[in-house]
Amino acid sequence: MTAVELEGIWKRFPGVIANAGASLSVRSGTVHAVLGENGAGKTTLMNVLAGVYAADDGTVRLDGVEHQFANPAAAIAAGVGMVYQEFRLIPTFTVAENVALGAAPTIVAKGSIEKQVAELADRFGLATEPGRQIWQLSMGERQRVEILKALWRDANVLILDEPTAVLTPAEAQELGRITKTMSSEGRSIIFISHKLDEVKAFCDEATVLRGGKTVASSLSVTDLDAGRMAELMVGEATAVSQRRVRTTAVGNTALSVENAKVVDVHGRAVVDGVSLTVGAGEIVGIAGVAGNGQRPLADALAGLTALEAGTVTVDGTDLTTSSPRDRNAAGLAYVPEDRLGVGLAPRMDAVENAMMRNYTTLGNGFFIDRNAASNQAESLIERYQIKVGKLDAPLAGLSGGNLQRLLVGRELDGDPKVLIAAQPTRGLDVQGVAAIQKILVEQAAAGVGILLISEDLEELFALSDRLLVMHEGMISNDFDPDTATRQAVGAAMTGA
Amino acid sequence: MFGYRLARRDKPLPGGQFLAFAIGLAVALVAGAILLVATGFNPIEIYIEMADSAFGGSQAISNTLTQAVPLGLAGLAVAVAGSMGLWNIGAEGQIIAGAIAGTWIARLGPDLPGPLLIVIMLVAAVVGGGLLALGPAIAKAHLGVNEIITTLMLNEIALRLVRYLVNGPWQDPTAIGFPVAPVLPEQAALPTLFSRANVGVIIAAIVLVIFGVFASRSKWGFELRVAGSSAQAAEYVGISLRAKIMTVLILSGAIAGLAGGIRLTSSDRIVEGIAEGWGFAGIIVAALALMRPSGVALVAIAFGALRVGGTAIQTQGVSDSISEIIQALVLMGALAAAVFTAYEITRSGSGTGVPTGAESISGSAEASAEATP
Repeated sequence: MTAVELEGIWKRFPGVIANAGASLSVRSGTVHAVLGENGAGKTTLMNVLAGVYAADDGTVRLDGVEHQFANPAAAIAAGVGMVYQEFRLIPTFTVAENVALGAAPTIVAKGSIEKQVAELADRFGLATEPGRQIWQLSMGERQRVEILKALWRDANVLILDEPTAVLTPAEAQELGRITKTMSSEGRSIIFISHKLDEVKAFCDEATVLRGGKTVASSLSVTDLDAGRMAELMVGEATAVSQRRVRTTAVGNTALSVENAKVVDVHGRAVVDGVSLTVGAGEIVGIAGVAGNGQRPLADALAGLTALEAGTVTVDGTDLTTSSPRDRNAAGLAYVPEDRLGVGLAPRMDAVENAMMRNYTTLGNGFFIDRNAASNQAESLIERYQIKVGKLDAPLAGLSGGNLQRLLVGRELDGDPKVLIAAQPTRGLDVQGVAAIQKILVEQAAAGVGILLISEDLEELFALSDRLLVMHEGMISNDFDPDTATRQAVGAAMTGA
Repeated sequence: MFGYRLARRDKPLPGGQFLAFAIGLAVALVAGAILLVATGFNPIEIYIEMADSAFGGSQAISNTLTQAVPLGLAGLAVAVAGSMGLWNIGAEGQIIAGAIAGTWIARLGPDLPGPLLIVIMLVAAVVGGGLLALGPAIAKAHLGVNEIITTLMLNEIALRLVRYLVNGPWQDPTAIGFPVAPVLPEQAALPTLFSRANVGVIIAAIVLVIFGVFASRSKWGFELRVAGSSAQAAEYVGISLRAKIMTVLILSGAIAGLAGGIRLTSSDRIVEGIAEGWGFAGIIVAALALMRPSGVALVAIAFGALRVGGTAIQTQGVSDSISEIIQALVLMGALAAAVFTAYEITRSGSGTGVPTGAESISGSAEASAEATP
């Protein structure tokens, strides 16, 4: 019996094709893994199934019956429940209130709802306290509330979008047990994941997406090993980017990080004992599946968050406790993952964004020398061929490639010794990617040490001198991109 | 989900904000004219009377400027905080706090020479207003407590305090039970400038010019605007948000306190209604100035003129309700223009769902609301 059948699903967004004829078939009473890299189209496909997006083309069938969901409510009514990565709970409501919200038959006594929720939770072995408010709960408990919400609405198909990303290992084990209980009742679970060990432990079958298409459907997880999974997810080398030819020798250590540890608001170690060095003129790549500590590492190196332990040294200067401004002055430039909103201020204009690093030095005393600021912006615009409309228009209207050229240009304007570039080409078009990669190569040749954090393996293989893999907050492997295979790196990314 | 919504403009409004304001004003005046005709007045005559009473001659101008002083200072207080994205809703209370502090000085040193007494009273008013904002500033900077709530609630506390003072310890014994404080010493009144305008106009003008210039030209003002545009971007370049929140909220309270001090030294004593809604009107002034301190003075004068004109036409027989409706229409027209300068109406629910850069700013309420299907 097939619980879910998606066939030939197409979904286009402006400038992006998220699904290009993807398909998925889930048997009743199984836990089905959906695998793929970031941008492979997993979440879009699930959103089509959950009624969030209407597919441009293709069919959705549940138990053999074709459906066209106008909105998420229609999908819920048809028995599809989705637990998003970011929970949709009301923090000041109790567990029972959140579960029953919008799905209580009439006005019901609070005690009665709490009792019903407790019974439902018991049936599936979901440990919870219906009377507690959401803000008091751990992430694992909140996730159980989301699952209860779906079960309360009698979901027959439950989609879990990277459910273990926010969980501790013990909570993840617990989740695996819960999914087994649900599937043994005949419900079907779709489990989106990057992690091979979980897929093998929790799931029955797996479908792999790549570039919006299904490249392998309903494989038995017993047939799946790390190499095969990585090969399916990453694919063959496409040789889009040319291998960088190094023209200069690696110089002295530009950036040195020792035993860096960062904890999140819940006290979990998201970066756990990372040590690395980047030499002058060297490009060190960090590969990894999103959410394995790359972003907290970059933010901590730039001084945006504090290190719990460890040291950061740039060109021999210990910057462990320095402010972001002092780190920048000492030669540390940072191109953050969120180029608009962190790296650039969207409602400010090009001149103002161009001077964000050095406005304190433009003009004497209290006031900013506006001519100097304009000249600086114009020289950046010319040097990096940035297309801006008017100099005094808010940046928010610019394209990603132009924003990134402005950001990268500004960061390099202070002649840094080290550049941390996080996802510098993500979301850019082909020319934009080429322009940014060219800048990185030129800067390395000029002696800047570059730490390149990317989810694009092609880019990392093309540009890096050394390729580190980050997994669960730690540097798990150190590859030589000239000899390593994509499969080996891909396997390391999934923790194999 | 298939409706229309307001989205922040990526590009400036075609034709600029002056055109927007002209259209807003025209719509308001036409709507007002319909009301006037319906109640038996010639709208042209009434509008001319409004303009004449606000700008025709030195007495008219002095009336307008006298109204513009507290409007401008309260508006500046709100706009200074607003330029870094903070909402000071407590200007009303801070005006009262300033007036209380000024009165306290006058009671301590009633025999001081006039200029000295006035200067100390105004300084005390500045300190008083700033002190009332101190609590919200600390709570916001260190605990993240919403400043809208705390500043708003302190209005009530300031109002109860002045009520207690004029009914209790500061009650004028000669006022046979009326809740008023004794009149201030004569030398505590601000000297007259011309007609009905006093030196308060000069003080307010200086403060407005200084802040207007600093907000738009100085490094300090730049940091405020970076923080207002994106808190994460501010932290990224090393601007201390905590220090900025503290200084900006206290400064905002201090400016409103100065408005209270000038109100006090422009009247003969402190009364319960010393703030008279000026603090809340300041929020409108700041909104119309698009939270730019440099735009506050112009808006304050226009708003002051509207109030003077609105009062004047009541002497022509226009009822106070109609007069207030006309004033409200003009303000709404101008506010609509201000909104459309910064926002545009777009179709929502077209189902693309691709977040653009602008929507991913700092996990704001807007962005998370849009993330919910």
